[in-house]
Amino acid sequence: MNLAVDAPPVTPVTPINPDRTARALRRLRWRLTVNTVRAVLHGSRLRLSMILGCSLVFWVGLFVLFLGGFEFIGLNDEFFHSIFEYLFSMFFLSILVMLFFSSGIITYSGLFQSREGTYLLSMPATPDRIFAYKFFEGVGLSSWGFFLLGSPLMVAYGLTIHAPALFYAMFLIYLAMFVLLAGSLGSIAAILVANVFPRRQRSVLALAVIVTIGVGAALGSRLWKTPGEALSADWLGNLQNRLAFCQHPLWPSRWMSAGLLAAARGQWQRTGYYLMVLSAHAALAYLAAAAVARDLMYRGYNLIQGGRTSRRRWGLQALDDVFHRVFFFLPRPIRLLLLKDLRTFRRDPAQWSQFFIFFGLLAFYFLNIPRLGYAVQSPTWRNLVSFLNLAVTALILSTFTSRFIFPLLSLEGRNFWVLGLLPVERSQILWGKFAFSVGISLGATLALVFLSDLMLDMSPLMIALHLAMVVVLCTGLSGISVGLGARLPNLRETDPSRIAVGFGGTLNLLVSLVFIFAVVTALALPCHLYYLGVENPESSRMALSHAGFRFWLGAAMAMGLLIGAAGTILPLRIGIKAFERMEF
Amino acid sequence: MIELLGATKRFGAKCAVDRLDLEVRPGELFAFLGPNGAGKTTSIKMICGLLSPSAGEARVGGRPSSSPEARRLVGYVPDQPYLYDKLTGREFLRFVVEMHDIESRRGERRILELIDTFEMGDFIDELCESYSQGMKQRVVFASALVHDPRALVVDEPLVGLDPRSARIVKDLFVSQARAGCAVLMSTHLLSIAEELADRIGIVDHGRMLAVGGLAELRERMQHEGPLEDLFLKLTSDSRPGTRAAANGVAP
Repeated sequence: MNLAVDAPPVTPVTPINPDRTARALRRLRWRLTVNTVRAVLHGSRLRLSMILGCSLVFWVGLFVLFLGGFEFIGLNDEFFHSIFEYLFSMFFLSILVMLFFSSGIITYSGLFQSREGTYLLSMPATPDRIFAYKFFEGVGLSSWGFFLLGSPLMVAYGLTIHAPALFYAMFLIYLAMFVLLAGSLGSIAAILVANVFPRRQRSVLALAVIVTIGVGAALGSRLWKTPGEALSADWLGNLQNRLAFCQHPLWPSRWMSAGLLAAARGQWQRTGYYLMVLSAHAALAYLAAAAVARDLMYRGYNLIQGGRTSRRRWGLQALDDVFHRVFFFLPRPIRLLLLKDLRTFRRDPAQWSQFFIFFGLLAFYFLNIPRLGYAVQSPTWRNLVSFLNLAVTALILSTFTSRFIFPLLSLEGRNFWVLGLLPVERSQILWGKFAFSVGISLGATLALVFLSDLMLDMSPLMIALHLAMVVVLCTGLSGISVGLGARLPNLRETDPSRIAVGFGGTLNLLVSLVFIFAVVTALALPCHLYYLGVENPESSRMALSHAGFRFWLGAAMAMGLLIGAAGTILPLRIGIKAFERMEF
Repeated sequence: MIELLGATKRFGAKCAVDRLDLEVRPGELFAFLGPNGAGKTTSIKMICGLLSPSAGEARVGGRPSSSPEARRLVGYVPDQPYLYDKLTGREFLRFVVEMHDIESRRGERRILELIDTFEMGDFIDELCESYSQGMKQRVVFASALVHDPRALVVDEPLVGLDPRSARIVKDLFVSQARAGCAVLMSTHLLSIAEELADRIGIVDHGRMLAVGGLAELRERMQHEGPLEDLFLKLTSDSRPGTRAAANGVAP
C-alpha cells in the first residue's frame, strides 16, 4: 500500500550551529585518542616499551651527537654565533620543505582518499570544520619526527651556550608555530592539486619531489665543493657565503633561526618580534587553508572520485619470464604464488620506492667514501668502517623484511583459504616466500657491501668474508620474517604497515636486531683485534697475533654459520608447524 | 523529498549515470534495482551530496543535495559502511547525535530506543574493531536513524545481516515509510523489492529502464511472471548489441 504524499517544495530545516559540529569533532578526536592509548596500555606492553625505549635511545643519541657537534664548532670562537645562525637557517629550510610535502600528502589522503573522509563529507558539517579535524591529525602525524629531531638539537644548543631557562619553553612554541605554517602551506597545495590535477596527483608529486631533490643536490654539491681546508677560517667564511641564500628575510626558516638564537641569548625583544612574525604568518596560512578548504574541498573530492578510470595494468611479460627462469627449481604453483607477490611488490610504489630510497642513499654514501678520506685511513679504522657499513646495510634490510616480508602471509587475509586449497604442501608455500625474500634482498645487499669494500680498499679475503656474511644475514633475516609471519599472522588487518607495527611485527624486528648483532659482532671482534695488533703490537694485550687471528676467525666463522643456520631454520620450522596446523 | 532531475555523472569518458530522473516522495519506499555497474551507487552518492552531477540536479527536501541542510535530512547507509575502530558503538552514536546538533537528552533517549530496536545491548559498549560484519551493519543502521531523517538512503541493505537482523531492518523500512520518511534502497535482492517496495526503478548503463509499482510494470511489459523474469528481460535487452527494449518502457 503506497502512502506517499507530495512533499512541500522546500522542507524546513533547523540550521546547525557550526560550533556544535566543531565540538563534536574535537570530542571524537579526544575519545579516539583516549581509547587508543588505553588499548595500547592494556595491549602489547612489548610494543609500547620498544617504541618508548627506541625513541629514548634515538633522542639521547641525537642529543649526544648535537652536543658534541656544538662543542666542536664552539672551538672556533670568531665564527661561533654566525655559523649557528646559518646552520639553523639551513636546517629549518630543509625541515620546512619536508613538512610541506609530508603534511600535504597526509592531508590529501585523509581528505580525498580515506573512507573516513568520505564518511565525514556525508555528515552535516561545513567543509572547513572537517578540514580542521583532518588537518590537525595530518600535522600531528607529519611533525612528530620533527619534534623528536628538533628538541635534542635545541636542548643541546641551549646547554652549549648556557641559555636562560625560558629558552626551553620558547623553542617549543617556535616549533609548534613553524609546524602550523608548513602544514597549512602543504594543505593548501594538496587541495589545489586535487582541484587542478585530479587525475595527475602522482605525476605532480613525483615532479615536485624530483625538482626538490634536484635543487637540493645542486645546493649540496655547491656546499660540498666549498674551497679551502675543511673547518679552517677561510673554509667557514666561504661556507657562509654559499649558505647566504637561506638567510633571506622572507624565509620562515630565517625567522625561526633568528628568533631562537635571540631567545638563547636572552634578547627577549627580538625573540618576541620574530615569534610574532612567525605566528602571524602561521595563523594567516591556516586561515587561508581553511578558506581554500571551505570553497574547494568538496569540488576536489568530487573531481577525484569522478576522475577514477580503470587503468589497464601491463603484464610486463618479459619480467615474468625471467622470474620463471631464475626460480626454475621451484614447483610451478609456488612460482605462480611468488609471481603474485612480485607483481604486488612492483605495483605498490610504497614498497619499491622505500627499498630504492634507502639502498640508494647507502650507495650514495658508499660512493662518497673516497671523498670522506676513509680509504686512506689506517687498516684498523677501515676494517671498523667496513663492518659498520655491513651492519647498517643489514639493519636497513631488517626494516625492509619487517615491513614487507613479515606481513606477506597476513596480507592473504580473507583469501587465506586459497593457500589452504593449493595443490602443494603448505611447507612449500613458506619455502617459496623465503626464496622470494632471499632473492629480492640478496642482489641489492651483496652489491652494496661489495661497493663499500671496494671504496675502502679492503683485501680480497675481507671482501669474501663480508659477502659470505651478507648471505648469512639475508637468509637469516628472511627466515625470521617468513617464519614469524606464519607463526604470528594478523589476518584481520589489510594494511601492511599496521601489521608490521603490531606485536608480531615488533617481535620480528627485535629478533632481527639481535640476530644482526650476534652475527656481526662474532666476526667483527676477531678482525678488529687482529688489525689493532697489526697497527701497534704493543698497544693492547687483547690484540691478536696472526696465528691467533686464524684460529679465532675460524671459530667466529663457525659461530656465525651456526647463528645463521639457527636464525634461518628455527623460525622457519616454527612457522611451518604453525602454518600446517592452521585451520581455514 | 528525493529528486534526481536529468542527473548525469561522467567518470572521464565513461557515463555512469545518464540523464536519470527519479522522485521518491515522503512515505514512499522505493527500490532501486540494476545489475552490477548499472549506476545505482553513483546515483545514491549524488543524492547524498558526495558526488555532484556533471549535468542535471540532485535535490533532497527541495535543496541541493550537497548543502549541509540537505545532508541533515538524509540518513545514509553505504554499501561499505564506515565505523571508527577505536570507538564503542555507543560512542559512535553519540558522535552522530552531536554532529546533527540534537539536544543531548533527546539524543540519549533515541540511542537507547535504537539499541533496543536493533538488539545491540550485548555489544554496544565494546570497541567497534571487535564487531562482526552484522554487528557493524546494525550500528550503522542505528547511526543513520538516530537523527530521525526525512529521507533514508540505503545501499545494499541486507549485506552481512543474519535472518533475524534482516527481518528487523525490513520492518524498519516499512515503519519509516509509514511514518512519512522517503526510503530509497538499492538492492540486488529482487525478493525484497517485491516484498517491500511501493515503487521499483530498474536501471542499467546509467539509464532508467522502467519505473513504477510492480503491477504497473507487469502491465506495461505485458509480463505476468515474477519480478526476476521482468528484471532479466529488461536488463538483457538493454545490453549492448541486443534489442533496445527500453523504448516505450521507460516512464
